[in-house]
Amino acid sequence: MMAGAIRRLSQWYSIPLVLLLWQLAVTSGLVESRLLPSLGRVWAALVEDMSSGALPYHTGVTFSRAALGFTLAAALGVPFAAAMARSATVRNLFEPIFFFGYPIPKIALFPVFTYVFGIGSPSKIAFTCLECLYPIVVTAYLAFRTIPNRMIWAAENMGASQQTILRRVTFPAALPGIFAGLRIALPIAIIVVVLTEMIGDSRGLGYYIAVSGTRFAFQNVYAAILVIGVCGFVLDRAMLSLRRKIVHWQRGETA
Amino acid sequence: MRIPVAIQHWIVPVAVLAAWEGLGHAGLLPRYLSAPTLILAALWEVTSDGELVQALAASLYRVSIGFVLGTGAGVAVGLGAGLVPGVRHFFDPLVSFLYSIPKIAFLPVFLLLFGLGHASKISIIAFSCFFPVFIASRHAVLSVDKVLIWAAQNMGAGGPRMFFRVIMPAAAPQLFAGVRIGLAHAFVILFAAELIGSQGGLGTLISEGEDAARFDLMFAGIVTFAVLGFVSDRILMAIRRRVLRGQIIGTVEQLVR
Repeated sequence: MMAGAIRRLSQWYSIPLVLLLWQLAVTSGLVESRLLPSLGRVWAALVEDMSSGALPYHTGVTFSRAALGFTLAAALGVPFAAAMARSATVRNLFEPIFFFGYPIPKIALFPVFTYVFGIGSPSKIAFTCLECLYPIVVTAYLAFRTIPNRMIWAAENMGASQQTILRRVTFPAALPGIFAGLRIALPIAIIVVVLTEMIGDSRGLGYYIAVSGTRFAFQNVYAAILVIGVCGFVLDRAMLSLRRKIVHWQRGETA
Repeated sequence: MRIPVAIQHWIVPVAVLAAWEGLGHAGLLPRYLSAPTLILAALWEVTSDGELVQALAASLYRVSIGFVLGTGAGVAVGLGAGLVPGVRHFFDPLVSFLYSIPKIAFLPVFLLLFGLGHASKISIIAFSCFFPVFIASRHAVLSVDKVLIWAAQNMGAGGPRMFFRVIMPAAAPQLFAGVRIGLAHAFVILFAAELIGSQGGLGTLISEGEDAARFDLMFAGIVTFAVLGFVSDRILMAIRRRVLRGQIIGTVEQLVR
């Protein structure tokens, strides 16, 4: 018990240490307090905007956009990847779009999205969906394609129909790969929403950060960063535990 | 009759471009979707008056310096964290907290620290490249097959030799994966930073085209930016293929070239 606590402390000491250095830098006047507000002021800003409802509101906007874009990408991407893995025609038509298009910085298209979908939520959701689609489709596609043929042959040999094979063999075998893609896409969704909100919006945490920055209210910038960090961490853990539940036969390589 | 695969690959892009061009000329598309030929004309226009070269140079300067600094720091600290438990225990909690935060959120801080010019972009690009590269390098060192290390030790390999001849080659594939993610991050951050607060660069070219309702200019900037990102990735992958000669055979990569 005690030894465990000490080990834990020895592995997590750096966060309190950095916070301590932060506080020392501010109170000693080494760093301009406007740029690096004291921890107390960050906490006060966090508590104030939490209770006034401003932060919960913007957080809700940001994460519901991210969730919608992400879910849309998963719902479109996984079946599409399966179709690409199965049909040579679909594969030949779309493989270059995904593999060639993968390294293209799609963020450059965001201005066009704001014209097509308007400046509010729809353009952000659509763009998040596009950004998430790439890692989801590519990893799921590779997962579907690298399923050993003998698994499918064995199922066919035992008289399984094509539908049963898809449901009972192909899909479960590809699930770890699918989850790997989803786990890559989740932080991308959050990054993209915050970023596009910073470029132009009147709601969401990105907007909150941009506005606080121009007002030199850096305690609010850090408060928002803290909120994003905590929510991102919780979502990632939720994704991992979902993966453990669904891909229960494969343990050990969750981290 | 079967259409050759190489031609099938081109069907969708060519169809989209042709439809875009045709519908654009028929006046069926909104004005902000400039037809591809108009975009080419705009590209020629900004190339010949030197505007594009200037913007491209500014963006390229920011992204390359930021990427090199961030990647260098990420590899160095990441390898350190992989090799030395003390370094690992110091950086792991900090990185795992900061990793999930979009680095662009720190842009106001960097803007105040370094102003609107090159320095703020370079530093935030370096900052955001650091994390994926750090994680990949750290992980790469830790997942080197113990048997390889034991074998080398048994044959009398010491510190530097072990590092350069055993650990680095074994860690290189994962390390490159991290660097590639870092490169992608660099371009995303570059674009956002240039749109939000900047002087010069492709982002400025795009937003100027937008403000003047010259959508062909906006697209010229977008196309240049996309090509820049794409070409950078290709160069990185070419370097990777050269460095990892022989290590790629037998992996999924053969599926997708």
